[in-house]
Amino acid sequence: MSIWDRLQAVDRRWVYLVIWVVVALPLIFPFRIRPVTSPPVEKLFDHVDSMPEDKALVLSVDFTPDTQAELFPMLVALLRHGFADGRRVGVLAMQVQGLGLAEEALTQVAHEFNSRAKSHDDSVVNGEDYVFWGWTTPEVTVMLGMGERITNVFPVDYYGTKTAELSIMNHLRNYDDIGLLVSIAGSAIPLSWINYAQTQFGVRLACGITAVSAADFYPYLNSGQFVGMLSGMKGAAEYEELLDAKLLRRGTEWSLRRRATEAMSSQTTAHLAIMAFIVLGNIAFFITRAKRKP
Amino acid sequence: MKRRLPLLIVLATGVFGALAFFVPHAAVRDVDLTMRNDVLRIIAAFGLILGVGSILRHHLTKIQRRAEHWGYSWVTIIMLFASAVVGLFGGIDPRTPGVLPTRIGSFSFHIQTLYTSVMVPLAATMFSMLAFYMASAAYRAFRARNLEATLLLIAAFVLMLGAVPLGSLLVRPLPDFAEWILTVPNTAAKRGILFGVGLGTIATSLKIILGIERGWLGGGS
Repeated sequence: MSIWDRLQAVDRRWVYLVIWVVVALPLIFPFRIRPVTSPPVEKLFDHVDSMPEDKALVLSVDFTPDTQAELFPMLVALLRHGFADGRRVGVLAMQVQGLGLAEEALTQVAHEFNSRAKSHDDSVVNGEDYVFWGWTTPEVTVMLGMGERITNVFPVDYYGTKTAELSIMNHLRNYDDIGLLVSIAGSAIPLSWINYAQTQFGVRLACGITAVSAADFYPYLNSGQFVGMLSGMKGAAEYEELLDAKLLRRGTEWSLRRRATEAMSSQTTAHLAIMAFIVLGNIAFFITRAKRKP
Repeated sequence: MKRRLPLLIVLATGVFGALAFFVPHAAVRDVDLTMRNDVLRIIAAFGLILGVGSILRHHLTKIQRRAEHWGYSWVTIIMLFASAVVGLFGGIDPRTPGVLPTRIGSFSFHIQTLYTSVMVPLAATMFSMLAFYMASAAYRAFRARNLEATLLLIAAFVLMLGAVPLGSLLVRPLPDFAEWILTVPNTAAKRGILFGVGLGTIATSLKIILGIERGWLGGGS
């Protein structure tokens, strides 16, 4: 058996071991790669940046823990952007498993801002600056109902407080008060937002999705139904880059942790390893095929 | 009657559901609101009962028959009830305690703690295993056997390099080319598929509403 035959029949556990090493090592010994921003991410960032002051940013946490690594940094980056601009932020979950992730992100980002706040105006307060509506079902009820009155769809927030008693809800009645709704999902839920919320009420939408499903959403990005899109870990890293640059321009240097940017080194080595495997596999395939030919 | 009644309900609700999108009359809007806000939620609540009942029956049967891996069925059932009790009565996290004590000394097991310490790592582990399988499959099966496979291989290379910052460092226009592949050829193909799917969905929906397609009723022939 030649080396090329052996390469073709290599035990898959060796492949697993190499992937584990190339993913884990850059996480332990990270090297910084500055992400280059792409048009879909820039469009989303610019839209959030240029929305009228009285319009809220709403984040729909439509993902579950399995896609957390890719999508959670998007949620954190968008929350930071909304709070940094002093914008009203609404958060809901379309999947019940997303509730815990939304809660974790809100707690983390609210703490980041409140621990640095010098006055009440600088801080972010639940019920005043942001609201976490929680989850209810079915999704068609939520998506259509929010176009009429959000407090009807969510009579109480995630913490059990009556939403009608929250001061933020005086300025956040329905889609008319929302400048952008971003659905962060590992499934096709962003398309349901188009079908029900946008078609009937004209709400502006964007999405944050896993890299593997990005191709499915490009038709809606091209048609303008999504104003922008974050695709996978790279999309989140690009958003972090844009936000960091904006905060620096403003003179705010908080050195907040950028999880997506940190993971770029690991993703880069993993992609390179997979490409190397494909090249090696093809070389072995062609050489063994040429040898077998009479 | 056993079959006619469900067919009539589907016909009435299906036609009305579509009609409500096009008729802005107050009476239609009110009925539509009631259907969406009340009726749909009641049906969803029954769905929850069915779901819990179904999972219990499945696992209790496994335990009763001592089927393969029946021990894991106990784990599922115990966790189902434990998380429900903690979630309903134990508060969200240490800041928002519930009626049930969910703290022993410095150890807390609020629903958020259970979620971040058990659910998140388990689900993330399952999903991350995909990377290993994908790498193995790419190594073994991704071969440039013919023109189509070669084109697919080239596109995959461009997209994989374009999806990491290194791509632009190696070849500056590479991310733009990757973006072009997604924006133009990919979108063209996807739109064709979407038109087909859309027309198929309308046809199937009409068949169900009009009672031509009755597979959802169950019961075989």
